[in-house]
Amino acid sequence: MRHRGRYGIAPRRVVYGLLGAGVLVFAGFMINQALNTSLVYFILPNEYAQQPSQYQDRRLRLGGLVAPESVRFDDLALQLTFMVTDGIESYPVQHVGAPPELFRENAGVVIEGRFAEGTFVSDNLLIKHSEVYEAPEDGHIDIEALRESLQ
Amino acid sequence: MSDASERLRRPAWLRIWGAALVPLFLVGAWLGLVWSPPDVNQGNLIRIMYAHVSVAWIGFVAVALTAFFGALFLWRSRRRDDVLAVASAEMALLFSSLTIIGGMTYSRPTLNTFWTWDAKLTLTALMVALLVGYFIVRALIDDPVRRGRVSAVVAIVVATSLPFNYLAAEWFRTLHPSRAIALDGSGVTMAPEMLATLLFNTVVAGLVYGWFLVDRARLGRIEAQLETERAERELATPSAGGVVRV
Repeated sequence: MRHRGRYGIAPRRVVYGLLGAGVLVFAGFMINQALNTSLVYFILPNEYAQQPSQYQDRRLRLGGLVAPESVRFDDLALQLTFMVTDGIESYPVQHVGAPPELFRENAGVVIEGRFAEGTFVSDNLLIKHSEVYEAPEDGHIDIEALRESLQ
Repeated sequence: MSDASERLRRPAWLRIWGAALVPLFLVGAWLGLVWSPPDVNQGNLIRIMYAHVSVAWIGFVAVALTAFFGALFLWRSRRRDDVLAVASAEMALLFSSLTIIGGMTYSRPTLNTFWTWDAKLTLTALMVALLVGYFIVRALIDDPVRRGRVSAVVAIVVATSLPFNYLAAEWFRTLHPSRAIALDGSGVTMAPEMLATLLFNTVVAGLVYGWFLVDRARLGRIEAQLETERAERELATPSAGGVVRV
């Protein structure tokens, strides 16, 4: 038989109770994170254009497509610039760092950062790829075409 | 004694099932790593998808079945259902943890991040946390009936998040890609070889889950029987275990 305290609670239960409370706090923290950031994970350029003052000096995530023929990459300074567009509005983006492997024209991107004088200064460049998966037609991936799309 | 060792022995059909999993797993790996084509955008990185998505789906099935067995236990209070629920919950925790590990592996080279708090990832992390809570709750309660009931409620709560998680990329803006296979038959945006590879690996993952479910439930039933026998012995000789404080 186990030793029990006044309310029939063994010390072991106190430990488990604290563990349980810890898990609940952690779960609450994650729900909070979800409600704050997940439901509107990113905003579109045209949503920003409607109310730029609302996002003044605020860190935000901007989602859209990489506009064709807008990509410039300075590989010495690691400066990547391109236009992000949702088909309605587009904004120039400045990002320090190499482009990710799946970064190319017309690719979906989510960028984290803030606006400075009409340019979005990003410190985190994420790829939002589509749900279409297909094999390349000749069975080989055209590395040259990929490289060209980044020039 | 021979009765106990007889009970611990795995039945022949279960041993055959287990042995068959090894070649099936190897075929699945071969399909994913060799036979299936690279993706036009992702190249060979697409191959991680076969492990990530099949494991994630079976993780969802495991959570749903945990809640199902839990609900059965709430309904008719048979120990057998609680034993199945625990067996399923252990696999649900394993598969959903593997989903996150595989997802991070896949997402770093493709999406350029290990983790982000979008709706789908957050719901999956919450699912893992609640499944851990499921086992903490079980460890807290000594009475088998109450233990089974409370943990069944936890399992049902976890299962309610499944539709949100499954459709998160459609309902919310997420970084996680949307589904390539619509279950209503409206379309598959995946090359046929890729689809076949994914489905084969999903079946194998399901068979792995099923095997552990059956074997763990078999052990769980022996465990439950021992627990009952021990409780009966303690009732017969109340002072056997030492001083009882009230």
